[in-house]
Amino acid sequence: MKAKHLVWIRRISQTSFLLLFFFLLVETRLPQDIYLEYSLASSSELDLRLNYPTTFFFQLNPLVCLSTLLSGHTLMKGFWWALSLLFVTLFLGRIFCGFICPMGTIHHGVSWIKPSLKGERMVRANQRTASQRVKYLLLVAVLVGALIGLNLAGLMDPISLLFRSLAVAVFPGLGVGIKELFGWMASSDIKLLNLMSYGAEVVVSPVFGYEYQAYQTGWFIGLVFLVILFLNRIRPRLWCRVLCPLGALLGICSRISILRLEKDQERCTGCTLCTKGCQGAASPMPGQEWESAECLLCFNCFSSCPEGALNFRFRLSPKLNRRPDMGRRAVLGGLLAGISIPLLGRLDGQVHRTSDPRLIRPPGSLEEDDFLRLCQRCGLCMKACPTNVINPTLTEAGMAGFWTPHLIMIQGYCEYNCTLCGSVCPTGAIRELTVKEKIERPIKIGSAYVDRGRCLPWSGNGPCIVCQEHCPTSPKAIYLRKEVAFGPEGKSQPVLLPYVDLKLCVGCGICEYKCPVKGRPAIRVIAAGESRSLGNQILLEG
Amino acid sequence: MDESQLITRRETLKRLLQISGGIVLSSVTGWPRGGPGTVWAKTGGKRFIVEGLGQKEGYDIKALVRKVFDGAGGMTRFVSRGDVVVIKPNLSWARRPEMAATTNPEVLEGVIDLCHEAGAKVIRIADHTIHDARRCFALSGAGLVAKKTDADLIFPRSSLMKEMKIRGHRLDVWPVYLPLVEADKIINLPIAKDHVLSTLTLGMKGWIGGVGGRRNVLHQDIHQTVVDLAQFFKPTVTLIDAIKVMTKNGPSGGSLGDVAVKNTLILSDDPVAADALASKLFGHKPEDIGFIRLAQKQGLGTYDLNQLEHKKVLL
Repeated sequence: MKAKHLVWIRRISQTSFLLLFFFLLVETRLPQDIYLEYSLASSSELDLRLNYPTTFFFQLNPLVCLSTLLSGHTLMKGFWWALSLLFVTLFLGRIFCGFICPMGTIHHGVSWIKPSLKGERMVRANQRTASQRVKYLLLVAVLVGALIGLNLAGLMDPISLLFRSLAVAVFPGLGVGIKELFGWMASSDIKLLNLMSYGAEVVVSPVFGYEYQAYQTGWFIGLVFLVILFLNRIRPRLWCRVLCPLGALLGICSRISILRLEKDQERCTGCTLCTKGCQGAASPMPGQEWESAECLLCFNCFSSCPEGALNFRFRLSPKLNRRPDMGRRAVLGGLLAGISIPLLGRLDGQVHRTSDPRLIRPPGSLEEDDFLRLCQRCGLCMKACPTNVINPTLTEAGMAGFWTPHLIMIQGYCEYNCTLCGSVCPTGAIRELTVKEKIERPIKIGSAYVDRGRCLPWSGNGPCIVCQEHCPTSPKAIYLRKEVAFGPEGKSQPVLLPYVDLKLCVGCGICEYKCPVKGRPAIRVIAAGESRSLGNQILLEG
Repeated sequence: MDESQLITRRETLKRLLQISGGIVLSSVTGWPRGGPGTVWAKTGGKRFIVEGLGQKEGYDIKALVRKVFDGAGGMTRFVSRGDVVVIKPNLSWARRPEMAATTNPEVLEGVIDLCHEAGAKVIRIADHTIHDARRCFALSGAGLVAKKTDADLIFPRSSLMKEMKIRGHRLDVWPVYLPLVEADKIINLPIAKDHVLSTLTLGMKGWIGGVGGRRNVLHQDIHQTVVDLAQFFKPTVTLIDAIKVMTKNGPSGGSLGDVAVKNTLILSDDPVAADALASKLFGHKPEDIGFIRLAQKQGLGTYDLNQLEHKKVLL
């Protein structure tokens, strides 16, 4: 096969997988055309599920799979995808990085559209440097950390990082902009603009969400993503070369790869075109030893060599490829980081003492220690949640739980018979529940309490009962008592005062969300009473 | 989930375009924007109320709907050929139909069928839900009804809310859900349920589902705001679904223990009378319910059923 063809195959493959990634990302939400058969005879609660395998890229990801195995001692659903990928890597090298990885494709595209360096400077930038050992440090840190009990893979794993950045920052950000534009168009007096806004909204809403999506720390996630994109200005695909722990893992596996770069010293004229196009800084030039662990298999060198001095060939040989240049210091540094981060991360007492009252985990979440062993912080649950209540944490879960999901009840609430978040969690940090299980056990995520100073009837400011009305349990966890309250000027008035029955409250937070006292509602939910934690109970169970 | 229960994306998109386009067109052609006050059905003096009761075991609910409308002179009395009809069921909660928290899908289907027969050009289903609309429509069965009957199910969104003059005693300007006012005929199709503050939620209270904005402050004067909304949204006809009613734990319910079977449908062109008759099913006196009393006082109708042409049909 000609080298040119190989490059085109790569481009097509990259584009297809990137589009597939976008498609699955967009589909990680309830569609409007989801209809259930109704029958008055049946009284079973049915579970609404998504139509597409939205976790595909996570199942394909050996880093997610391996870290889950090390820390959570479980094999992920669909782990054989990752296994097959590792198997392919053994023979073909980092084919994932060059042909599949959507994060790599984005970096490739950014570096390609506007190369930051020209000529000789680009050749120099594409020489292998010691900084490329950093990714091994990160890999070792992630795996050792996972072994000790804190899964940090998702912070750096390219699939999790990309999904999180797009789902929580890029798409919602664009969505807000577009919706504001449509809002402006819809409110204008020009009929044509009205018409256009309605029409366009129908097309845009399924992609960017039906309402204004909000994620309180989204700006930070977006900023990190922009910085990572900007790194391509320093060196092409700097993320893939220097930082990506998944690339490091695949690089190590590529040592016995039988797809090898063969160099013909005789033909080489030293034009350095191969190095100029090299995406991985893998020393493609004859005279240097090719680094299979760094090679992203972009085939640029193969295609650009005017003399035919470079060739990719399948060759079985007893001699292994060059050892991945990990560097002792990088490995030791990784070990040190991997041991210290999980231990430091527990100093805040979130796991062994009391957790933050705002740390309300999605329904079905495992106990905090196990949760941190599995959660990839990928943002799938946040994207899928129909009420937009699930947000990434900043400080609520401590350093160890940075960017893990928690519920902010002023943003949304947990729908009583919705179990979508657990069904999309790739690692099972949020267990997949059935509606029946969620309601009948019941799964509690926290407890509500009334802030009597703010509450309208309690403070004598008038009738309300909104919290009681929305309470979804039967019988209702919020009950009312008729009493007399004293309002302004000492005027007495009969009111219905809300009380919370902690035995019945599941902490869904719809009371907090719907309370007319906005911002800091008069009824609020705290994590205490969550059924996932034996230690965080309020009541002596009867 | 069974694939056959889903409709394709293309279909949805097409339908959505129809809806949006339809709404825009309606505003272009100048359908009433200031409330549908001009579209009262011409009843010629005396108003009517029809009570339908399904007595036979396993009766067909859709047949009962037909019978009730026939009792009032047929759907053609209300819906003319070429009309844009909007139906306002109560789909507030993401609950299965058997929980009686949402309008019975078979009643909804029956009404839509009759509208089709009467020659309606477009039939829309619109309600501003409390829970996530996608889940409400899917679980309550309304989504499937819309698919079966080819009616337009409209998803509430902020761009469809427009501030309008309610001109009530309590509400002056409030965001209104546009599809409910941009139509020739409105059929209010509530389910009868228990409610702690307003005693019951019936036809007139259902109009809280016709507005947007900060709906949770309406409770501070629930009876007056309900009447304000009821005088703004004047339905052509009200059909109260009391096949199954929620007798306690309302308005969300959530247990079969909250549900009682009444096998009743109440049809009237007097929204106050419809609510009054429905309240009797729960053993209440209409005059004890604040918004019914207030609505009569403000001339929206009467709870004195003797003043109406009162019919009873059985199946």
